[in-house]
Amino acid sequence: MDKPKILIVDDDANLRRALKIRLRANHYDTVQASDGYSAIAVAQKEQPNLIILDLGLPAGDGFVVLERLRDSDALSSIPVIVLTARDPQSNKQQTLQAGATAFFQKPVDNSELLAVIRESLPSPWQGTALPS
Amino acid sequence: MNNGPTVLLIEDNPGDADLVRLRLVEGDSAVNVSCVTRLADGLASMAKEPPSVVLLDLNLPDSRGADTFRKVLESAPGVPVVILSGQDDVALAMKALHQGVQDYLVKGDITSNHLERAMRYAIERQALLRSLEMSRQQQLEFKNQFLSHVSHELRTPLTCIHQFVTILMDGLAGDLNPEQHDHLGTVLNSVHQLQAMIRDLLEATRAESGKIRIEPRCIAINDLIQQATSMMSPTAKDKQVGLGIRLDSRIPFVYADPDRVLQILINLIDNAIKFTPPEGSVLVKTYTVDADPNMAYLSISDTGSGISPEAKALIFERLYQDPHSVDHNRTGLGLGLFIAKELVELHSGRIWVASEIGDGSTFSFTLPLYSLAKLLFPVITYEGRLRDSIVLIKVELTPLSNPPRTNWKDICQQAIGTLRRCIYLDKDLLLPVMGNTETSDTSFVAASTNLELAEVMMKRIREQLEANAGFKTAGVLRVSATAVQLPSRDDGKSLEELVQAVAEQVTEMARLSLAVHNIPQDANGRVSTVGN
Repeated sequence: MDKPKILIVDDDANLRRALKIRLRANHYDTVQASDGYSAIAVAQKEQPNLIILDLGLPAGDGFVVLERLRDSDALSSIPVIVLTARDPQSNKQQTLQAGATAFFQKPVDNSELLAVIRESLPSPWQGTALPS
Repeated sequence: MNNGPTVLLIEDNPGDADLVRLRLVEGDSAVNVSCVTRLADGLASMAKEPPSVVLLDLNLPDSRGADTFRKVLESAPGVPVVILSGQDDVALAMKALHQGVQDYLVKGDITSNHLERAMRYAIERQALLRSLEMSRQQQLEFKNQFLSHVSHELRTPLTCIHQFVTILMDGLAGDLNPEQHDHLGTVLNSVHQLQAMIRDLLEATRAESGKIRIEPRCIAINDLIQQATSMMSPTAKDKQVGLGIRLDSRIPFVYADPDRVLQILINLIDNAIKFTPPEGSVLVKTYTVDADPNMAYLSISDTGSGISPEAKALIFERLYQDPHSVDHNRTGLGLGLFIAKELVELHSGRIWVASEIGDGSTFSFTLPLYSLAKLLFPVITYEGRLRDSIVLIKVELTPLSNPPRTNWKDICQQAIGTLRRCIYLDKDLLLPVMGNTETSDTSFVAASTNLELAEVMMKRIREQLEANAGFKTAGVLRVSATAVQLPSRDDGKSLEELVQAVAEQVTEMARLSLAVHNIPQDANGRVSTVGN
């Protein structure tokens, strides 16, 4: 079975690099995008199994990306985990309403993030406890 | 008509009124004077069209003394008020000025120049005050926006530090020796402190601009206290401070936001531990007070150094830190008690402190006791009597997996949001969720007054919850409805008693099992556990 592929969308290159190290260590493949526009392009080309999405992005913020994903037949079933510095009080409900699976405020606890990734992945990998 | 200031003269003595008019005309200023003899008429006139200035006699047929200006200031806070009094009472004049009156003139002393000048200055001073108040508001708004922006911007680099420190600590970039691991642990601790400060900063900003929302529900307060003390017991142990609880098991449930109450408790307990020397102790209590039957009382006492009377007066203010406090290397921004106070007040509770220097401190606060009857009252009564029947709609969410997914709590939270949009505010009621956190098998109950509406509501609930992708993959939904016939005869019972009876019936029917928590009790029905 192939490793699950995760798309990391964040405009902070350092954070993308850190998440890549963390996710690869947990046996995930990663691809990256740094803005809203390329997020959709990369998602179409790479067909990731899960997306980690920042909200404050250039060229189409996280809400625009969520909307574009939901409108696309090919991408609408990909689970999206929002990871943002923004305040949960004014953004959490909105992102969940817009179709995100989970909302985390930065900095995130790694074990919580990994648990939600495991649970959100579609069927072949669903719930499997990956060796860490 | 002319464009001069409009003057409202409230004066019941015709002779005095004429004299004032005469003085105003003599002054040759273009003023429009209207005169009323009763306070009620004056207030009505101000409500219709606020004048430039009010000239006010204090002793009127329908109001006397300080009451008169108090009522005028209350009903038209922006309008300048000049008192024209028969007697030269300095104490009363000072009182009036302190409450916002612009001037206090003695009728016998008034010349036309004098009166005209007093009016003009009163109008100017009032305008100045208004613009000062406006710019103060604006600055507050700017400051709050700035702080909110700053705390957001600080999170980005902090996240980066957090991520790379944990990468190093988890050995993802090679093995570390124990000393290196230890040093990084210190960095991580500092990251957590910084994170807590950013959170407090944002929270205090929000509190100040009234943007904190609470989601009250029916919670077992004693369970919540046990949760808080078990979270804080490592901190207490580190400092060798005893942490005990004494709970009144008769307190059933309170109506409050569990996350917020936990935040208040942790805040107060953390403070208490911080200010208690090793070998001292902290005690958390719940109790009720006969004179205040609708509230639950909570208190956190410590055996610390106590608080000076000066500090006591300021301790709930934003940013206040006691300069004489014994603990000089403590962390935090001094926002904790300010946030706690705001949160308690959002629950309609009170918070206060009792303390003597050298004799410890006790912080106490109150929370409203949960009363289903109070919530049901507006829904099930109609023109002073009970409705014929209501419909209970039960929405059950069962998670697909056991244990449920990590984000199950979020999914339930979302479901509550959806349900809230499915009800008509004046005819339906979403009963508060029972319990401190959503259990794995979550039920929500809504009450509706009308069977047809209830059917529409059920259909909407089903459609909207089923449309939610997150929910569909995590749980199963069941929606059912039961009609409840309300008692038609009153048997001499008061409406309140009837509503109470219905509330008990509804509780029973909804099987909102109010399981009394299993806490060991001593002979007096009190509970005493935890400690060092």
